[in-house]
Amino acid sequence: MNSQIDPSSSQQSEYIANHNHTDATDQFYKNLRFKLTVGLLVAFAIPYGTLAIFFHFQFNQVLNETGKLHLVSLSESQRNTVDLFLQERVINLFSLFHNPNFSVNTRDADINALLVNLKQANNTFVDLGFLNAQGIQVNYAGPYSNLHKKNYSNETWFKALKDGEKDYHITDIYLGFRNKPHFTIAVKRVINEQTFIIRSTLDPDQFYRFLQTINKAQGVESMLVNIQGIYQVVGPNIGKPFQKSLNAPDMTKASGVKEIKRNGDTILVAHSWLKETNWVLLVRQPLGIAYAKMHTTRRIITTILVLVLIIFAGVIFLTTNMLINYAQDASEKKDEMRLQLVHATKLASIGEMSAGIAHEINNPLAIIIATSGVVRDFFNPEFKLEHTPKDINKELDILDAAVFRAKGITSKLLEFGRKNTPRLVYSDINHILDDVINGLIEREFKVIDINFVRKYDPDIPKVLIDPDQISQVLLNLVNNAGDAIEGPGTITLTTKYESDVVKIMITDTGKGMSIDQLKQIFIPFYTTKEVGKGTGLGLGISLNIIESMGGAIDVQSMERKGSTFMVSLKHQLPRNENSI
Amino acid sequence: MKVRVLLVDDEKDYINSLSKQLVVRNFDVTAAYSGDEAINLISKNTFDVVILDVLMPGKDGIETFKEIKKIDSSVQVIMHTGHAKVDFAINGLENGINDYIIKPIAIDELVEKIILAGKRKTIIKDRD
Repeated sequence: MNSQIDPSSSQQSEYIANHNHTDATDQFYKNLRFKLTVGLLVAFAIPYGTLAIFFHFQFNQVLNETGKLHLVSLSESQRNTVDLFLQERVINLFSLFHNPNFSVNTRDADINALLVNLKQANNTFVDLGFLNAQGIQVNYAGPYSNLHKKNYSNETWFKALKDGEKDYHITDIYLGFRNKPHFTIAVKRVINEQTFIIRSTLDPDQFYRFLQTINKAQGVESMLVNIQGIYQVVGPNIGKPFQKSLNAPDMTKASGVKEIKRNGDTILVAHSWLKETNWVLLVRQPLGIAYAKMHTTRRIITTILVLVLIIFAGVIFLTTNMLINYAQDASEKKDEMRLQLVHATKLASIGEMSAGIAHEINNPLAIIIATSGVVRDFFNPEFKLEHTPKDINKELDILDAAVFRAKGITSKLLEFGRKNTPRLVYSDINHILDDVINGLIEREFKVIDINFVRKYDPDIPKVLIDPDQISQVLLNLVNNAGDAIEGPGTITLTTKYESDVVKIMITDTGKGMSIDQLKQIFIPFYTTKEVGKGTGLGLGISLNIIESMGGAIDVQSMERKGSTFMVSLKHQLPRNENSI
Repeated sequence: MKVRVLLVDDEKDYINSLSKQLVVRNFDVTAAYSGDEAINLISKNTFDVVILDVLMPGKDGIETFKEIKKIDSSVQVIMHTGHAKVDFAINGLENGINDYIIKPIAIDELVEKIILAGKRKTIIKDRD
């Protein structure tokens, strides 16, 4: 039997697949990283986005309302101020009746003094007139001297005041005798059953200026409109007095607000009806300005939401990355540790095989010493042996053969003990099985009467495996089979290909195992072998190796009859048949 | 008279070389390549010393030893093993094995052991 290493071993016929283990693992983690990141982002972004949109609309609505309410309250407060202004003007006039300079027979000089007083109280007043019961303006002070002695008895305001219950009257804007736009405020007092009236006019420009002074809101225009919708006091960029306002005042509510479209712009108009006269105070503000603050706030909130989204996305990305890196590291470490354990187990199994190895090495050594003894005897004069060079050569050939036999064993041992880098190649299982059995094992087993029977399926396809690791598993299983056999026995090696699975069966005629033993054989450190013979790591590691290649190990056993260990490996088609 | 030696081992090269050495050292040497062959030879011939390998395919050294002793209890058996198993040797001695030698052997040591065994055989024969 020749146990020299055959250089054209099975590995030469294997071809390396175009992808290796590391690439597949990297791809797996890349996919996992992508799925996890996208999944978490979606899981976060959907509820976050929904909430953000909901709050956005809610916020818009609230701010809209607030903007309108603000304008209404602005109109109400301005209305109150205008009411107060008018009341003050009325009181200014009433107080004249009680002025010491005043009497029913007032002279023009006196009334001039009164006008000066009045103007000091408020510069909106233009002139001052005193009317007798017949409606004749008996005294007048002011710039329109033609109004002196004018008869106002047919004027609407005069009739309204004279016959009305109220003792003052404020007119809408009108031209009157002076033919200039003005308002008239008139107050009456009954003295000795005669109705006396003091009237004064208000300057529309001054009134407008007053309106401007009370209006400090940005972009807001205030104006006064009478019940017919005619401008009373209005800014020049909106309209002119006597013009019809386009904003028909709402009569139904004391105050309110509405949106109107003008020249493509939306304008908010709030109204508030005055108490002193039938006027309405309108406050208009372009929507853009009304909601400017709201838009600023909305922009800030949107920015914050987007920033939070970015921060969360970043956190998700970083955390996922960290987690995956950690998992990948852990998995790589686990792989590394598994490889170390596999190697340790391999070395342990060499220890277990040491007796057989010693025997196998001692045999050629015995041949060498015996044969060298023969040669030495040739040259020993004591024995007087005839020796031709041919005789000596013959002995030397035997020596050489023994040396190579020993070398074969040590080479096998070194090859087996070598720390292999993991690799996945398409390998022929029959070849691997023969490599495991040939040499050491078969020879060792032969001397203890264990024979091998090979039942190989010659047509099984190559499978993607790590040949070194598979060899170790098979060697371990064969060693176990040998250990199970007491006395002569047979180990049958069967390979089969069934429904995409390559099956390797190692059947022994050994003592078999009980059900209790079967339950525990894959547990690390469990061994049925005698002390010093087994580490109890072999089957655990074997299972680990086979499972890492996506395979399985099944066991059938019957006490006193033997056991069968079946390794199943899935056959995958090479991705690229051309790669060698 | 030459000591009649039966060499039993499954390693043919070894047996051949060993027997050549023993022949020139004036022994009468016969070779057997298995346990069964040895038993067969013993049942037909008389040997003084049997040098018996322990690990052999078929009948191993121990079984062969037992059968040999049944056939000829006076024959001297030297167990010969590649295993450096002292336990095994002591065990063998207790079981009636006469001597043992561990492979690889020095020829002079083996010759000494054979001569010694041959003498023991002569004593036993003379006693009987």
